[in-house]
Amino acid sequence: MTTAKHNPKLMVLSIDGVPFALMRRMMDDGVMPNMAGLAGNVGIRQMRSVQPTVSCVAWASYMTGKNPGKHGIYGFIDRRTESYDLMFPNSATMSAENIWEVLSRADKRVFGMNVPSSYPPRRVNGILIGDFLAPTIEKAAYPAGESEYLRSIDYRIDSDAQLARRDKRAMLADLDKTLDTRMEAMFHYLDKESWDFFHTHIMGSDRINHFLWQKMEDNDPEFAPAFFAYYRRIDKAIGRLLEQLPDIPLLIFSDHGFCRIKQEVQLSRYLVETGWTTPAQEIVHPLSVDPAKSKAYCLIPGRIYVNLLGREPGGIVPLEKYQQVRKRLAEDLLKLRDPETGENVIKKVVMRENVYWPSDREKNATMEPEQSAMYKGTYGKAADLIAIPYDGYDLKLGLAGNKILQKTELEGMHTYDDAFMVARGIELPKDDLEILMLARPILDKLGVEPPNDMDGTGSAITPRF
Amino acid sequence: MDKLDELESQSIYIIREAYYHYKKLAMLWSIGKDSSTMVWLVRKAFFGKVPFPALHIDTSYKFPQMYKFRDEYSRKWGLDLVITRNEKALAAGMTCKKKLECCTALKTEALKIAIAKHGFDALLLGIRRDEHGIRAKERVFSPRDEEFKWNYQDQPPELWDQFKSQAEEQTHIRVHPLLGWTELDIWKYIKREQIPITELYFAKNGKRYRSIGCTTCCNPVDSNAATIDDMINELETTTTSERAGRAQDKEDTYTMQKLRALGYM
Repeated sequence: MTTAKHNPKLMVLSIDGVPFALMRRMMDDGVMPNMAGLAGNVGIRQMRSVQPTVSCVAWASYMTGKNPGKHGIYGFIDRRTESYDLMFPNSATMSAENIWEVLSRADKRVFGMNVPSSYPPRRVNGILIGDFLAPTIEKAAYPAGESEYLRSIDYRIDSDAQLARRDKRAMLADLDKTLDTRMEAMFHYLDKESWDFFHTHIMGSDRINHFLWQKMEDNDPEFAPAFFAYYRRIDKAIGRLLEQLPDIPLLIFSDHGFCRIKQEVQLSRYLVETGWTTPAQEIVHPLSVDPAKSKAYCLIPGRIYVNLLGREPGGIVPLEKYQQVRKRLAEDLLKLRDPETGENVIKKVVMRENVYWPSDREKNATMEPEQSAMYKGTYGKAADLIAIPYDGYDLKLGLAGNKILQKTELEGMHTYDDAFMVARGIELPKDDLEILMLARPILDKLGVEPPNDMDGTGSAITPRF
Repeated sequence: MDKLDELESQSIYIIREAYYHYKKLAMLWSIGKDSSTMVWLVRKAFFGKVPFPALHIDTSYKFPQMYKFRDEYSRKWGLDLVITRNEKALAAGMTCKKKLECCTALKTEALKIAIAKHGFDALLLGIRRDEHGIRAKERVFSPRDEEFKWNYQDQPPELWDQFKSQAEEQTHIRVHPLLGWTELDIWKYIKREQIPITELYFAKNGKRYRSIGCTTCCNPVDSNAATIDDMINELETTTTSERAGRAQDKEDTYTMQKLRALGYM
């Protein structure tokens, strides 16, 4: 027993985008009996995600224990500094240490596999296999030599989302194969590696939810059972995991919830129609705007930037108009309605200084809007306004499209409030729980001091919107 | 020996070694500062008379100053200039509107066309280890298969600078005589040797190009460096990366396709 105390270990299995409500339903309906058994003993609770609610932001917040204003991952695409060009944020552009690095510094042996925002893998004391954006297994793996084993089991970095759009049956087979090799690798490394912290991520749940959610809810005779069969497969692996690790501290959780899509909202198109954005003559990507004629523009999902003079290369809005422009933008955004149902699309518009905070400021200090607007560095990359939609309205881009609302093959979208958490043998904050609060208790459990500027405690938590 | 002399003599050694080993050698000349430095070294290696062609992969979207420079100096330097374009892709309207497919078609595919047409078995390239993360894994003699795949885990070892210039059949070899040079070494050498380079590198109205390619994919960086001395000075203090003004990397193509399929683009 004393060994366990001196050598604490902790296992994380994360299942991307599984809502609390769905998890409870699947436990009740016998789809996930092993999860039900575990949750029966230790409970299951709801957890908040991040704004905007996308996986790369949520997982970056988890792995750094910091808000996006400190780690700098605000979405899957971003603006290249001082330009209207696109860039793709990843762990190389993330400006904070991740949990594997913090633990490595404390001489802990770590393992991580497939966690979004972990590619390219940083150097750690152990093994780190990057997320679904890794282009090859060789590039995904640190140390690179691990790719040999991964190749030998035909490890899949990700399922093929293009397949999902073409052929749902092929998608299901591909998801199974991806999950099976992930689980095979997990059990291999659990056994072979000596580890203190071990985290495996399942991404396929997010994919199946995106592409089959409506069919699941509508009880489609073919695809609803197939949907639950995928979760049975996950539960089976969980059963084996619980058998192998009967009493090691364990976290099983998701990073956000899901709901059915009513409409996809081409928010950039709305900004064009309301006169805020003027597209460039040739639209080649989401930032193809004419800066001389655009007061604002946006990136997915619901991230709106003021084309601010002195900050953007072709900025036209003077700083003294910043607040006024944001106020009018927010008013326009809140006016957007679904013409079919008359429902409002945007629930709330929040200002960057009210949702993010930078590293080099006191936690409690409030920031003046103009000061926030001109802030440099990681915090300064944030959108000026974040539009939070009602569940069902998925905020997308579509500068070139001619419709604001549309439906595509996507059936499900992310929700903020409804991630789930099952924790065994580790104490988490009691009442409110958001994903950026997890790193502290994990480090605590492993006896490692959290970095000074780590969030997730006191006032360094995200307000509820 | 000073560092530049050492780099120069090693590069010349590699170039001569390559010429000795391969029957159909060519050097890739992109008109940028690195490959122009390489051309300079090749001329030195063979006392002014280059015994193999200079291959220019022309995307048709390069800066006009680059075309002018190419034509002027290939004449002055007496180069056997081979120009290849992917005419089929250009005729089909390939432009940087499809930025990410564009590079593949107009650079990678065009190079395959050139290799197939002229039967080159080895190419001299002016890449440097400090340019880009993945290039750190390059070797001086780097085999590629027919599909241009580079298996960096299965490379012949090059210990103590014993370069492995032998390769299996069915591959072409990329030879990197400038691999060990840094951006700063290049500028210092250009200064010392007075190597001509295009005017794009020098600041005009507070902007200059630090890395050049197609007009459509290069942004100038803020700089007041109007002379090579300014540039050396700037490099010794800067923290931004050399390719900061370059729009894309191959990996972005992959990321973009992936995100598009998932509805994030």
